Amino acid sequence: MSNDVMIYANDLSKSFGTFRALDKINFEVKRGEIVGFLGPNGAGKSTTMRILTCFISPTSGTVRVNGHDVFDAPLQVRENLGYLPQRAPLYLEMSVLEYLRFAADLRNLDADTFRKRAKSVVEVCGLAQVLGREIRHLSHGYRQRVGLAQALIHDPPILILDEPTSDLDPNEKAEFLDYLKQIGEQRTVMLSTHNLAEVEASCARAIIVSRGRIVADGPLDDIRAKSGRVRYVVSVQESSGTAGYKGRGEPPKKSEVQSAFGAVGGVKKIDELPTDERAHAFELVSDRDVDLRPDVFRVAADKGWVLLELHRDAQTLEDVFRSLTIGDERRNRQLGPDGDGRDEEDDAGADDQADAPPREGSRDRHEKTASDRS
Amino acid sequence: MRNIWIIARRDLRAQFNSPVAYVVIGGTMFLVGVLFFLIPHVGNAFMGSFWELDRASMDQLFLYLPPLMCLFVVPAVTMRTIAAERGSGTLELLITMPVRDSDVILGKFIASLSVVLILLAATLLYPIAMFFWPWNLGPLDWPTLWAGYLGCLLFSSAAVAVGMMLSSLTESDVIAFFMTSATLSVLYAIGWMAALIPGVLGDAVEFLSFQTRYQSFARGLVDTRAVLYFLSVATVCILVSFRALESRKWS
Repeated sequence: MSNDVMIYANDLSKSFGTFRALDKINFEVKRGEIVGFLGPNGAGKSTTMRILTCFISPTSGTVRVNGHDVFDAPLQVRENLGYLPQRAPLYLEMSVLEYLRFAADLRNLDADTFRKRAKSVVEVCGLAQVLGREIRHLSHGYRQRVGLAQALIHDPPILILDEPTSDLDPNEKAEFLDYLKQIGEQRTVMLSTHNLAEVEASCARAIIVSRGRIVADGPLDDIRAKSGRVRYVVSVQESSGTAGYKGRGEPPKKSEVQSAFGAVGGVKKIDELPTDERAHAFELVSDRDVDLRPDVFRVAADKGWVLLELHRDAQTLEDVFRSLTIGDERRNRQLGPDGDGRDEEDDAGADDQADAPPREGSRDRHEKTASDRS
Repeated sequence: MRNIWIIARRDLRAQFNSPVAYVVIGGTMFLVGVLFFLIPHVGNAFMGSFWELDRASMDQLFLYLPPLMCLFVVPAVTMRTIAAERGSGTLELLITMPVRDSDVILGKFIASLSVVLILLAATLLYPIAMFFWPWNLGPLDWPTLWAGYLGCLLFSSAAVAVGMMLSSLTESDVIAFFMTSATLSVLYAIGWMAALIPGVLGDAVEFLSFQTRYQSFARGLVDTRAVLYFLSVATVCILVSFRALESRKWS
């Protein structure tokens, strides 16, 4: 059982001076898993990956990769890994083939194995056309592919990819994600990204980090269910336009619509959505277990309004991600580098007060998900 | 061990893939030529250029080569070693391969030293062309010449190590260049001032200067104290570079 844990991090912390980049994070990744490592910029994704690859050392905590400790056996850890750092930093003056050979040499592959591995890696990364070209003349997309190719050259059991798709165009991205599923069958893959669509396309599990802490960790469906909320979109005709008003009496005013829908039982929150002058559109948020659609329809029908749209959205991963991490981003922006700026930021302080309730809410959710997990 | 050679080979190839190595070697050969044949000795009014000296001696070469190395050659060769890799991020990819930090440092040291050695080998053209073939201007004291080259080799090892150390402390190759150039020039030039400073301080300056240490080799004397001095400087600087590279883990 413990054999199947490929990446193990226990109470992992990292401080840069007084800044805590990682604060006691715990996670495990098992053989054959593809894990999306998510978080806003500066949340600690790259730091974690650099610790896993022994580029930097943790301040405290235990990390084992395929059973090897990062302190005691960094070379064995690295032998078990293929790593693609952010933005694929490669030696620009080398040709693709030279670079792959250099990586293979350092990985101690003999000429025969190299030939075999290079052939398959070049094929899957689509590098056949550019093998002889200097890396400096390649586009960023191709450089990223070369970076991936060097990470795969020694057929490692674990792949760590730091924002592997950031420089790819949409076609390349789709291709890459397909490919990732393919190679992920026998390997453990950990990829960091802030593109949630990619995680939904390729990973079964996600770890969401924010300000150096794990705020959610689990199968995507569980994470989606985390917030336990459902969102409805309703729009009501506001003016006749060219087609003429089809409702009873005068078209309703915005405030009328808002208060009527806001009064429906089960509505937690109502927000206006942007539309043109022909409709009033609102977003209603409710708990998961009640369906508001019949009540909303009833209200509109009783008032004689024309219902243009009514649908229900399950919360997307993106919403969950935002709700889990947004409080932190907001706080980052307010505090900035020089701490609690008192005098000149009185106005900001007032905004801060206004924003306080939702932020408190999201903080609570952090605590809850963190405790759910453990 | 194997990794050291792989890294050294790659670095050496990178030096010759960019124009830096060619410009440095070509430019130095040209400057040495000009100084050697045309310009009278700067420091000593009694010595003229090679022709006016009228002796079968390569003193002039050993007089001009080390300052040029301090000012241009070594800084240009070593500036990129670690600073540029750190700046562009390639260091991260290199270090996360299964290599020791010491492999990286030694590989880079060997590669930079090799470029300087190639330059030294090229300057052998002067004594060969004038005293062996096609011309034979007189009986050259070859052992003195070899002592001078041994001095150059030791001197370059120390200088390259200093350059690499300074390169490992910054992310910018321009800063690395100027720091190295300034440090080496000062280390060299204080030798000329040592005579003017009285007492213990003067002795200390003389002890530290690359120039006074190197002088004995140029005269054909292999001084073990100087050998040890250059080797110690090289070792200490290599160790500091190693620590500087390692410090990324803890900062």
